[in-house]
Amino acid sequence: MTDELEPVRRSRPDRLLPDDPPDPEVLVREKTRLMSAITGQENAAEHRRSPSIYPRLAYRDELAALDFLTRAFGLVERRESRMEHPDGVLAWLEIGDGVVMIGRAGVGRHGLQSPLEAGAPTAMVLVYVHDIDGHYRRAESQGAQIVMPLEDMFWGDRRYEALDLEGHRWHFAERLSEIRARRPTP
Amino acid sequence: MEESDGCVIADSLERPGTFGVIFDRHGSTLLRFLARRVNPAEAEDLLGEVFRIAFERRSTFEQDRDSARPWLYGIAANVVAKHYRSETRRLRAMAKASADRQLAEDPAERAVAAVDASSRWSRVVDAIGTLPEAERQVLLLFAWEELSYEEIALALGVPVGTVRSRLSRGRARLASLALDCDVPVAPCEAGGAR
Repeated sequence: MTDELEPVRRSRPDRLLPDDPPDPEVLVREKTRLMSAITGQENAAEHRRSPSIYPRLAYRDELAALDFLTRAFGLVERRESRMEHPDGVLAWLEIGDGVVMIGRAGVGRHGLQSPLEAGAPTAMVLVYVHDIDGHYRRAESQGAQIVMPLEDMFWGDRRYEALDLEGHRWHFAERLSEIRARRPTP
Repeated sequence: MEESDGCVIADSLERPGTFGVIFDRHGSTLLRFLARRVNPAEAEDLLGEVFRIAFERRSTFEQDRDSARPWLYGIAANVVAKHYRSETRRLRAMAKASADRQLAEDPAERAVAAVDASSRWSRVVDAIGTLPEAERQVLLLFAWEELSYEEIALALGVPVGTVRSRLSRGRARLASLALDCDVPVAPCEAGGAR
């Protein structure tokens, strides 16, 4: 054995048992506790949990993706959940009551590829938002590639589709009934 | 550009709520550190303890520092030191998992007699638990957390020279244990207190 620290390094618990949590609930809970201890106020914020099903998307540059998704698509990062591995960051992004998890692409990363490597997206993320027209304008102005225009659809949605920086496909929609309800009746 | 941790902490003296930003930036890293060192179920409680202590002592943080991480590591290392029994159990479990994993994954190790490789790896890891506290802290902050000598010195509040000498003593002990243990297959009762 040339380096006596090598067994120590390789025995790091998370090297032995990979620890990408599907829901870093512990962090959310501990942050809530800390904040109520600091401010002396019972934090009434509801206990957020991840939904029973949600996707993990892989990117070559997950930090650029994080920036883009928050800027262009209005997703909000659960900042306290971000996990910094030496070889990549995992982040959880929310919109409404939905969540997506993003991480780095690669063989060791659960074998997930970025569409840049795969040549095409292999899934689409569907998102209902508030104020679809505003959402569309924002995405377009921030450089999202619009691949289906904003249109009213027969099933009762107004929707568009866009690609993010690495070509993951996103479908954004709002229900026409909600749009109508927002408009003042003439 | 994000505000430095020093600025955030300075700000939190007047407005305590801003301390949450420090948790946002470092909570998951510290949770991981704790979960490596103690039983994962215990790590959550210790995480809360670390940040409560940090909050109470925030006026002692040197505000010209960009990152609070080494300081938080120092607090966490002290908290872990109070849980030595749990730490030892964690190391044992990892020593076993380590041996199993080596055999499963490493063709080079498989070439070596299986029993020998397995026991050698597990003994080395198990032996970490027998290192004196000060050496174990430095060794694991270096090998597991990948902190620099300077960061370890900041964390533990000792000079960089002390970090170097503790690390080389720790290395030497591990090296001698690995050698001693190479030959016999019987469990190695490593030297040292505890």
